Order: sequence, then structure tokens, then C-alpha cells
Amino acid sequence: MRKRGIWLIAMLMVLSLVAAACADEEPETNGGDDPVAEEEVDFKACQVTDTGGVDDRSFNQTAYEGMQRAEEEFGIEIDVLESQSDADFEPNINTFLQADCDLIVTVGFLLGEATATAAEANPDQLFAIVDVDFADEDFNDVTYPNARELTFATDEAAFLAGVLASGMSESGVLGTFGGINIPPVTIFENGFEAGMNYWNAEAGAAVELLGWSSADQDGLFTGDFEDQDKGKQVAQQLLDEGADIIMPVAGPVGLGSAVAVREAGNASMIWVDTDGCESASDICDLLLTSVMKNMDNAVYDTIVAAMNDEFEGGLYVGTLENEGVGLAPYHDFDSVIPDALKETIEEVRAGIIDGSISVGG
Amino acid sequence: MSSHSATVTTSRISPARARGFGIFFIFLAVAMAVLFGMGSGPDSATFGLNGPDQFADLPTVEIPAAGTAYFLAVVAAFLGGMQLARGFGHRIYLVLGVVVFLFIFAFLVWATEDNSLNLYGMLQSTLLRAIPLTLGAISGVLCEKSGVVNIAIEGMMLFSAFMGVIIGSASGNLWIGLIGGALAGGVLSSVLAVLSIRYRVDQIIAGTVLNIFALGITSYLTARVLVEYQNLNNPGTFRQFSIPIVSKIPLIGPLLFRNNILIFLTFVLVGAVWFGLNKTRWGLRVRAVGEHPKAADTVGINVQRVRYRNVIMGGVVAGLAGAYLTLGSVGRFDENMTAGKGFIALAAMLFGRYNPVGAFGAALVFGFAESLQNKLAILNVGISSELLAMAPYLATLLVVAGVVGRTRVPAADGVPYVKE
Repeated sequence: MRKRGIWLIAMLMVLSLVAAACADEEPETNGGDDPVAEEEVDFKACQVTDTGGVDDRSFNQTAYEGMQRAEEEFGIEIDVLESQSDADFEPNINTFLQADCDLIVTVGFLLGEATATAAEANPDQLFAIVDVDFADEDFNDVTYPNARELTFATDEAAFLAGVLASGMSESGVLGTFGGINIPPVTIFENGFEAGMNYWNAEAGAAVELLGWSSADQDGLFTGDFEDQDKGKQVAQQLLDEGADIIMPVAGPVGLGSAVAVREAGNASMIWVDTDGCESASDICDLLLTSVMKNMDNAVYDTIVAAMNDEFEGGLYVGTLENEGVGLAPYHDFDSVIPDALKETIEEVRAGIIDGSISVGG
Repeated sequence: MSSHSATVTTSRISPARARGFGIFFIFLAVAMAVLFGMGSGPDSATFGLNGPDQFADLPTVEIPAAGTAYFLAVVAAFLGGMQLARGFGHRIYLVLGVVVFLFIFAFLVWATEDNSLNLYGMLQSTLLRAIPLTLGAISGVLCEKSGVVNIAIEGMMLFSAFMGVIIGSASGNLWIGLIGGALAGGVLSSVLAVLSIRYRVDQIIAGTVLNIFALGITSYLTARVLVEYQNLNNPGTFRQFSIPIVSKIPLIGPLLFRNNILIFLTFVLVGAVWFGLNKTRWGLRVRAVGEHPKAADTVGINVQRVRYRNVIMGGVVAGLAGAYLTLGSVGRFDENMTAGKGFIALAAMLFGRYNPVGAFGAALVFGFAESLQNKLAILNVGISSELLAMAPYLATLLVVAGVVGRTRVPAADGVPYVKE
């Protein structure tokens, strides 16, 4: 009797592990049959995601799109492992170390330590990590010749969003919240607040921001990148306190916020990481714009460099100038945003690029 | 206490403990006066109390921060003195609740000084966050009262949140989605029932496996199906509706009587399950099976059948909790979107002493602590967000340790029954 029960348990376990393993595979992979690829290229790029998963409509997905583009154009082989929790980071990297990957791309600040350890222990393996600038315990910069650190001056693009939101807000109150208080999240919020301050100084306005304080480097966080119901409640609380434009920096949690924003009727949102109108098209009508962090381009460029033996370790910074970051098109709001404001934003963009405007606050 | 006190949780308070309460109240009073009274400037705190569509709007409440803190401190100190002098007897827990409430209110006033805060929004968020936890906890109560440990609430919620979205989107009907979600919870719980009742597998292991299974299968299907066919991930959400007249009462009207169907259903279930378990023949049988299955068997109750029925019912309720997250709240499914709520529901069940009404109260404490945490972050009170994030858990620990005391677990909980 009990034996059969244990069998049942074992079967369930196997089934769930198989399912979990299959989920990581890209369904559309058609390997060498790709008509675009003229010849088979012997290159394999592997990605380890953060806990959000490869379909998070945010940074994991964007990085993966860079890999998919390389697959389409050159016919390289790509593979991905999703991390379900922090405990998966190391095992996933180790799996790829055994899997003949030419380049291992790890995505996210939280994978920083595991990647640094692996890069140091395996000097012949190429790595690229998104969102991390390696440093030692005393915050001194560290680089590895076999690891490229893909970072982004997201605050430059978020600054523009801050100017835009301040110019568009009717209540004079903006809101933001993050998933976890980590630099790749808060850099959006710092830039957003700095943009708002710039607007207040230039236009003599008194727009205020709820949910983040650059001075304290602290604010409102949901605590994870998964709980959408919480994203809805947090957005609702920001709306309750008068905010009418909300920028969630929490991956898919922001999709929950969209429900609250839609119910409010007179509010709008700013999406981050990707152009929300493409990655989450059903909420496009709520999006003023998106603060884009073009990780796909950075990942793609890194793959191309590695294929041509031009891989360089060390730091890459995406900026407004090299279009590593930027503001998405206004889409549905294009006709709503006054031309004067659009011009101001172009001026600010030019100012940031030539250095006459500092995004540092 | 009389002779039967051996089997009933005692509610008498020892003199030392009673004194402890009195001193604790006075300590809180001093803390209020020093931290919030002396810590406040001359400005006022403004509270908004109005929901949408009421008979008449309440005036915005504006109260002086420092004065309020001192006043509340005096009240708390008075209650502490009363406790030391005379004692409140068994009503002490009620008084403790009042004093803790005064303390939190004084804290809020201090945090809101020279600012405004929408109290209605805070209460609404408290309630909405408590709904899935309450349903999850009721699921646990149904299972455990009959003697089966259910730690797979999380998995059942996740699985049914997913099935609710797929079925709701495919049929284009939210009600069919809701029923599908609830049944999905029932299906998963019948696996738990078979494993733990028929095959007598360790119930913790069986539950853990189901949690892993639900996470694996939903993640797999999300990546394979929902990403490809996005119209399968767009069922919409239940609209809120108002119960006529009562929904227009200021503050509590929109809060309690202007909601969507799943929230009303939760209110009904809390009452119905409490009544069923404590006042009906069915409830008596369930409790008998959970406390002493052999005795129940002797008087002719079919122990296994009662357990099967309860575990499956529990699964259906967990299914409603999952469906609430998708069909009742955000209208879409994403990987692991339950984010541990099933486990918090389990804690709410324990902390509510295996009683649906208690579990609802517990869930409200979680919800309130979380909504307080968000408000404080919005008000920028200068407490680190990592510390604030502990608030819901800290509140639970305090309440479990201070108010609930020892929870009595059903005697045969987790023990398979073998008929000799």
C-alpha cells in the first residue's frame, strides 16, 4: 500500500522536474534549419536568468531577445536556464560550464557574486553579465579579461522620463516603487527624481515624488519581482495619495499596477527596461513612455564580438549617446503630449549628451 | 477553572502575567509620549476617510500631532493603571488590542505630521491583501480539522490561478474560469487526499511535492503556452458591484459593500465554515475525526470518507484563493505569482487557532501591517525599507506570542488512520 504511494510521489516529482527543465528550453529553436542562416556557425551562447524568468517582459526577456537575434542572423545555438530562486544561480552556471558554451550570459545584479566566482575559476570561459560592475569587498573596481560587464546609465533616460512626467502630471504628484532596493532598480528612481527636480527648477513648478527619496536612497519596495497583486495594491496606495503618473521598477509586478492605474481612469504609467508597448502591448494605452535599457543590443554586440574573436573583458556602459539607453516612442500619448514639452525633452537629451546637464541630481 | 479544564485551553491569567500586561501598557504609554509626543512638531496630521459614492462625504480629519500623541499616551497609561490596580480579567486581550491600536494610531499620526494620508485607501488595501490569505487559511482549517495536514495550499493556489486564467480566457466567461480554477484546486487536493489517506504517505512530503509540482507545471505551461498565445492570458477581472443603500454609508460602505463577488464570497465562507464546523452535525463529525478517529469510527462515522471530503473541499477553497489572484485582482497569470501567500495563509490559520473567523482576523493583521509598511514608505518617515518589510512578520510574531498563546492542534492532525 505505502509502496505504491511512494511510487506516485516519485512519479509526480519526476514530472515536475521534467516540466521545469522543459520550460527553460526555447520552443521555437529550430537549430540549423533556419533559412536566414546561410551556414552553420559553431557558436553556443547560454543565458542564466534571474528569478523573474525569461518571459518576464522585462530585463531577462530583453537580454534573451539579443540572443535570439544572434540566433536568427547567424544560426548560432542558444540555450537558457531559468533560476527559480537564489539557490539556483550557481548550479545553473555550473551546468553551462559543463555544456560547451562559448559565451555564458548571466542576467541581473543578484547573479554578480556567482558570476565573478565562476569567471575567476574558469579563465578560458567567456562570460557576460548584465547590470553588474564587479567590485571587491572594499568597493574597488575588479575586472576579468574573460568577463564583460554590461551596465547602463539608466538614470540618463530616466531623467528624461522625469521631465516628461513632471510636465504631464495634473495633480503635481508622481509615484514610483521598486522590486528590491538594489542599484539597477534605484538608478531609474534617482534619474526620475533628478529629472523632476530639473523641471521644477526650470519651469518654476513644485511637482513632488512619492515612493522614493534620492537623499535617503530609500523608498517604497514590494520585496520581490513576482507578486502582482501587491503591485496593484502599492500602485493603488500611490494613487490614493494623489499620484497620477506611476513608474513601477519591478518587472512583471508592474503589470499588476497597470490594473489599478486603469481602474483609476485618469492616471498613466511609465514602463521600464523595454518599450512596454511591444513587450506588454495590452497596457500600451496607459503608457506615457518607457525608459529603455537596450540590453538586447548589448548582449547581441557581445555575442558578435565573441564570434569574431574580438571579445573584450571589462566594463561597457550604455548611455544616451551610444543609444544603450533611451526613451521609447510616445505611442498612444504622441498626440497628447504638447510639442513644447517634446522639444524640451530633446533639448535636455542634447544637454545630457554634451554634459551641460548633470543627471546626478 | 472547573474539572474539564484539562481539555479546554485555559484563558485564566496568572497574577504575574496580569501585572506584566499592566507594566507593558504603561511602557507603551511612555514610549508614545516620548517618541511621538515630544518627537512631533507643531503641525497637524490630515486624514482622508472617504471612499467613492457615499451618501455624504466625511470631513477631512485634521488633528494636532503632538497633542494627539500625549492624549493617547494618557489613555494607555490609564488603562495600564487600571490593569495594575484592579485587573481586566479575561477581557485583558481586548484591552491589549485597544492599547496596541492606540500605539499604532499615535505612530501614524506622528508619521503623517505636516502631511496627509488616505486612511480609507489604507483600510481597503488591508482588506484586499487579506482576502487570498483568508481563503487559503480556510482551506487549511477544513483539511486540518479533519486530521490531514495541508501544506500544499501554495501549490493549489498557484495551479488554480493558472487554470482559472486559461479556462476563463478560452471560454470568454469569468464564471466558468472561476469554477475551473476552483475545480483545479479540488483536483490537486484529491491527489493529496489519496496520497495521505489511502497510501498514508508522510503528509508534509506529499504537500511539498505538490507545491513543487504546481510550480513546475505552471512555469512550463506559461513558457510554452501563455507566452505563445497571449490571448489565453487575458480573462479580465470580476467587476465590483455595490450592495444598494449600505454601500453608501460613509467609510465602511464602500469598504465592505462595494467589492467584487470573490470578496463577498470570502465574507460568506468565513461565516459559513465557522458555523458549519461549530454548530452542525457535519462539523461535529469532522472535529471528532480530527481529534479521535478511533472513537469516531466506533460510533459509526466513516473516518476516511470525512477526510476525503474535507481535503477536497479545502482544495476547492484554495482554488478560490488562486482564482482571486488572477480573476479577482490582476487579470493575468505570471510565473510563481502567488509569491508565498499559501505559506502565509498557513501561518494565518495557526494564528487564528484553526478557526475561520480567527484566521480572517489574522489575515487582516498581515494585510494591515503590509499596508502600513507601504504608507510609511510613501510618507518617507526615514525608517529603512528593509526594516519596514519585516513589519507584517513582526506583527505576526508579536500577536502569536502575546495574544494567541498556545494553539491547540487537532489531536490526530497529520496522523493517518488505520482501521483495525
